[in-house]
Amino acid sequence: MVALSDVEPQTWPVPQSAAARRLDRGYERFIIGGTALVAMLLIWELSARTGLVDPLLISSPTAVARAGYTLFADGDMRNDLELSATEFLIGYGLAAAIGIPLGIATGRYRRLSYLLGPFIDTLNAVPRLTLLPLIVIWFGIGIWSKVVVVFLGAVIPIAISAHSGVKTNEARYLNVARSFGASEFKILSSIILPGTVPFIFTGLKYGSGRALLGVVAGELYAATGGVGFMIGNAGNNLRTDVLFFGVLLFTVTGLTSVAVLDWFERRFEIWRPKLGSAA
Amino acid sequence: MTTQRPALPQHPEEQERVILGTLVVVLFLLFWEGLERGWWADLLRPLLGDSADRWAIKPIFISSPTRVATAAYRMFFVTGEIWPDLKASATEYALALLLAIVVGTPLGLAVGWYRRLSYALAPLLTGLNATPQIALLPIILVWFGTGLASKVLIVFLLAVLPIAISAQSGVRTVDPRLIRLASSFSAGAWRRFGTVVVPSTVPYLLAGVRLAVGRGMIGIVIGEIYGSAAGVGAMINQAGSRFQTDKVFVGILAIVIAGAILAEIVRQVERRVEIWRPPV
Repeated sequence: MVALSDVEPQTWPVPQSAAARRLDRGYERFIIGGTALVAMLLIWELSARTGLVDPLLISSPTAVARAGYTLFADGDMRNDLELSATEFLIGYGLAAAIGIPLGIATGRYRRLSYLLGPFIDTLNAVPRLTLLPLIVIWFGIGIWSKVVVVFLGAVIPIAISAHSGVKTNEARYLNVARSFGASEFKILSSIILPGTVPFIFTGLKYGSGRALLGVVAGELYAATGGVGFMIGNAGNNLRTDVLFFGVLLFTVTGLTSVAVLDWFERRFEIWRPKLGSAA
Repeated sequence: MTTQRPALPQHPEEQERVILGTLVVVLFLLFWEGLERGWWADLLRPLLGDSADRWAIKPIFISSPTRVATAAYRMFFVTGEIWPDLKASATEYALALLLAIVVGTPLGLAVGWYRRLSYALAPLLTGLNATPQIALLPIILVWFGTGLASKVLIVFLLAVLPIAISAQSGVRTVDPRLIRLASSFSAGAWRRFGTVVVPSTVPYLLAGVRLAVGRGMIGIVIGEIYGSAAGVGAMINQAGSRFQTDKVFVGILAIVIAGAILAEIVRQVERRVEIWRPPV
């Protein structure tokens, strides 16, 4: 291995050990990534300061930071954040609570999947956000229309992931369990559920992105509060600093929720022996 | 990426699927129609008394399958009012998707091939990927107005990341033995890239395009609903705010059909490209 990769040292430098290489790359990643980020921010700041681009249109990093500070210091932000978080949590929680059992059930019971298949497939094919105008007609512009949008956005990927997770279960394990007279509950809890966990987490991760999208789109479209509403308002009033700060909040939320789910995923995966193509 | 042929239709399980699926869709449509026409309210009135009226819903709220079908017929063939909207949406979508492929593919390949470049762009790409890009819609409208350009940009933003990310992971998963083999035979970096890396990235690229097609639909719909005068999304929005629920459903239906056609096209292309590859 080492000898072969020595052939092309210019592409893959081979330090002494794998650990040293990982450390090296870690530093390199950090330094290059950090430098690039700082450079981008500097260019942004300078083009706004020097008037290269109208600061009204692009704001600047310092203006965004100042806007964020003011929003938090004055407490204007509080209500919007609370509202968006509530919509996200209720909608996403419901999607997980319904989507996971639903996906497992359709994966396990063939006839049920035939019955629900047409609806799930259709909903999966449309951007559910198309339904926004209808949902607003049905649920008003309050919190519930957003909860429904978030739910619809997240429930489909969660259910589909769980479904395909059940489908990929080892038939051999199921046969063994059945041979030993395991009850349906036992089969579900000791074979199907553990085997489906990685898929469930994939679905949850994907679903969290969709849920966040639902919050933004729902609040942009029709709302009386929330971070998305704040962004839309800021756009209408040309407050680009506030706007960018709102977008940044969504970025941070998105990164955080993926990191949290990754962490959980690793916790649940810890018992699993490493297989060749487990990824 | 299954290489299996679809099950033969005469297979009993497949028959069962078709029968049960059709049955439940028909029942659903009947239920919907009945809600609007008050069939269920009439049926339940002897049992429930006046509270049965809850089972009759005004057409402005839910419309009905026959109303939607009539509206669709009128909009497509009588007044033809939907065609300009469809054309506007299709133009925006096609331009943006093309742009996303043209930009996303080389970007992803480069980021996958040059490790340092991937480090440099990681903060930007990760951040952008974690953000619901729709949140940028208001600023895009500030920059580009409500015309064609703003929709092209939002669809591009949504579609370019899945393509770039797939291309990147495609390059990352190239069999290192093949690359070593190529360099043993003294293929230069460009040669290795062109003959080993790019071909094995194609399935990933197509998977990325498949994702991008779906993401782009979100972009076009929300972009038009939020700020646009033309396009199917704009039509849905206007119909919705006038409580013309049947027209809203026609718009949704048009989008569903367009989405299905696009997905099928990508699937066909994927099958074409995959045909030479031995199943792993």
